[in-house]
Amino acid sequence: MSLTALRVVGGRVAAVVPVAFGVTLLVFLLNAAALGDPARAAMGQRGDPEVIARIRRDYALDRPLVAQYGAWMARLARGDLGHSYHQQRAVTEIILERAPATLRLALAATLVSVLVGVMMGALAARRPGSLVDHVIMATAVLGISTPVFWLGMMLSLVFAVTLGWLPVSGYGGGDWQHLVLPAVTLGALHTGSVARMTRGSLLEVTRQDYMTAARAKGLAEPVLLIKHALRNAAIPVVTVIGIGLADLLVGAPLTETVFAWPGLGRLLVAAVGQRDLPVVMGAVLVFALVYVVANLLVDLAYLVIDPRTRAR
Amino acid sequence: MRPRIGPLATAVLGLLVVALVAGGAAQEARKSGGTLRAVFVSDPPTLDPAEATDLTSAAVIRQVFDALLELDERLRPASALAVSWTVSQDQRVYTFKLRSGVRFHNGRVMRAADVKYSFERAARGKRPWVFDKVVGARDVIAGRATEIAGIHVVDDVTLEIRLDRPFAPFLYLLAYDAASVVPREETDKRGASFASHPVGTGAFRFVSWRRDDQVVLERFPEHFRGPAALDRVVFRVIPAEITRFNEYRAGQLDLTDIPTGHCQSAQRDPQLRGDVAIWPTLGTAAVRFNVERAPFNDVRVRRAIAHAIDPSIIVDRLLERCVTAARGILPPALPGYNPEVKRLVFDRDLARRLLAEAGHAGGKGVSPLAYHFNTTDTNQRIAELLQAQLKEIGIALELRRLDWAAHLKLVDLGSAGFFRQAWIADYPDPENFLTVLFHSRNVGAPGNTSRYRNPRVDRLLDEADVMAAGAGRDSRYHEVEQMIIDDAAWVSLYHYASRALVKPYVKGLERSAQSSAPEFLAPLRKVWLDR
Repeated sequence: MSLTALRVVGGRVAAVVPVAFGVTLLVFLLNAAALGDPARAAMGQRGDPEVIARIRRDYALDRPLVAQYGAWMARLARGDLGHSYHQQRAVTEIILERAPATLRLALAATLVSVLVGVMMGALAARRPGSLVDHVIMATAVLGISTPVFWLGMMLSLVFAVTLGWLPVSGYGGGDWQHLVLPAVTLGALHTGSVARMTRGSLLEVTRQDYMTAARAKGLAEPVLLIKHALRNAAIPVVTVIGIGLADLLVGAPLTETVFAWPGLGRLLVAAVGQRDLPVVMGAVLVFALVYVVANLLVDLAYLVIDPRTRAR
Repeated sequence: MRPRIGPLATAVLGLLVVALVAGGAAQEARKSGGTLRAVFVSDPPTLDPAEATDLTSAAVIRQVFDALLELDERLRPASALAVSWTVSQDQRVYTFKLRSGVRFHNGRVMRAADVKYSFERAARGKRPWVFDKVVGARDVIAGRATEIAGIHVVDDVTLEIRLDRPFAPFLYLLAYDAASVVPREETDKRGASFASHPVGTGAFRFVSWRRDDQVVLERFPEHFRGPAALDRVVFRVIPAEITRFNEYRAGQLDLTDIPTGHCQSAQRDPQLRGDVAIWPTLGTAAVRFNVERAPFNDVRVRRAIAHAIDPSIIVDRLLERCVTAARGILPPALPGYNPEVKRLVFDRDLARRLLAEAGHAGGKGVSPLAYHFNTTDTNQRIAELLQAQLKEIGIALELRRLDWAAHLKLVDLGSAGFFRQAWIADYPDPENFLTVLFHSRNVGAPGNTSRYRNPRVDRLLDEADVMAAGAGRDSRYHEVEQMIIDDAAWVSLYHYASRALVKPYVKGLERSAQSSAPEFLAPLRKVWLDR
């Protein structure tokens, strides 16, 4: 690893500590301010005051807020995210159980958005202002603005219920058939952004002098596009993809709900409803780390794509 | 001489033959094998009977565990782990004879000591009220004792339970899933993880649980009633109702609920109408007032609002007549229901007059009013209908929607003056509605969120709760119910119904009033698949 790469990694790793502290403190304070009591929520509609008091003691909710947060941070320093109030299991175990499903979905959705988005962007950039360009850009805007819930339901109705080609929902045995519809639905969110960014970036690059020179040398259009234009247009696209991957990892609760996908998004939404603070804190911390790692990967990708950044 | 057989005798004989043949055919027709694919709206929080407080957990627990008793299709207590029982003259001592040779899924034989242990363990759990009538139970609940003094193991198959005072619905409590029997060695070995590795005596044993995805059970061949017909039961977890509906239509579920807004269309759909099953359950949806807060401390204001609400609009337009408009508090499916109960009639003129009498003519001094409800689409739409109805008498309703945890807290604390509340009976007895929801000792979180205090109501409830079932008991509850309605501490909107889709090949699924789609509490050991 080069010195520059080491510096990038070091900078990002150092950012983890303040990010973790800031994010968890914010979540903790918001939770403390929110109405609702995990002990009461755990009791159902009929709450016995004596039992509520006992559960509050068991959960250490009867201690001052500062002591509660301090205890949580002390456990975190030992690598322990605590125990879920609701599931009465280790938060680490709960998160690790969900992480593979979320990771699979996010990666598959990213693959969909990159393949389709770059292709759409490149096609549109070939003849700016043409009918193809307009149709592709309109489709991209449609993809960005279509509600995930609606798109998921429509895809499910057509490809699962009517045609019977794919399963309606669920994780199955981890097979690809169950992955297709959620990945396409979630991927559609970012396909439009990737397509628009690719088109814009390509158009800018193709107007550069070196592209005119290459064209004058008689290089074929596809070679020009793939070998010279795409690589140079890739930097902003990689940023969109990197941040998009993080968005897809943490922002999938709607897709997970429509397709009954057992991922981290659904876990977090349910935990907020149950006031299951240890799970909320643990999940949010993981999501914050995902963003840090995604930014790190984007920075490293710059080093690979753009030789100028290596020299800095 | 040939014996003479008259036409009546011939007919009777004929009927007997037909019945025998049909009965035999029915017996033969009960096919063994297959997997029932059921569904839940959310992941069960736990599979431990001591920790569960929700219907989803109960739906699994009832298949994996047995209790001393169970309720039959008509909600009568019937034998389960207890083969027989007697009740003392003073209605305080219950003696149960247990079945011998019943085995837990781990192979060990269940004994009376397991029942005592299970009850003591569950009394320290989240539903202590199931046991708090037993002598010494409050000490265990409060952590002052580890054993319930009123539970006595006579021998391996005999158990005696002594109550503080007579309590007519006590047998119902012993059929409740909180009273399921667990093996001590498994709870000791697994600790908190017993909640995800349950071991009981039930007709199905636990196989696997992938959180937020599915719970799988399989037939327990050594169940004391004989093996169930189904090989397996898979409970999928599908939060979106439209996805459940699509899975059902795609043939991937054998039963589910009917999505909101599809109740009439499902009954008209040629492909679905044969699968639609609607039956009344033990729930009532209502709006309540905190009678301690102004302006609801004035009964005229409460009555004015009650007279301004027309529940038939909610039932006809919003819920597509798939539920019934409520007259009283107790649902018609509940034993002890009073068909003569009278609601405060929908009468806007009377409502306006009452408001004026209270010094709030045209809503002056009370409008705008905050109405609190927990977040669901149906609750939102009901709130909007209420808003439109109260506007007619000059009251502007401000809608305050909160998630469940926040709504509970607000209502428990008495901070909400006018709010939505529904109640589903834990067991089929008026005590579980009226005493829990309106007795002054239950003010706040235990159930009386109206903070309603009426000494006469308390006295009648105290009398009825200890009386044996019969006309005297029923008449007290009926009087209490009418008093509460007239006092407008609670305004019923509609009674719940289970709205289900069940594939025609699913046979033997009990449609009892305790069982509601999609979390069916019916015993799945009776279910078989005709395909």
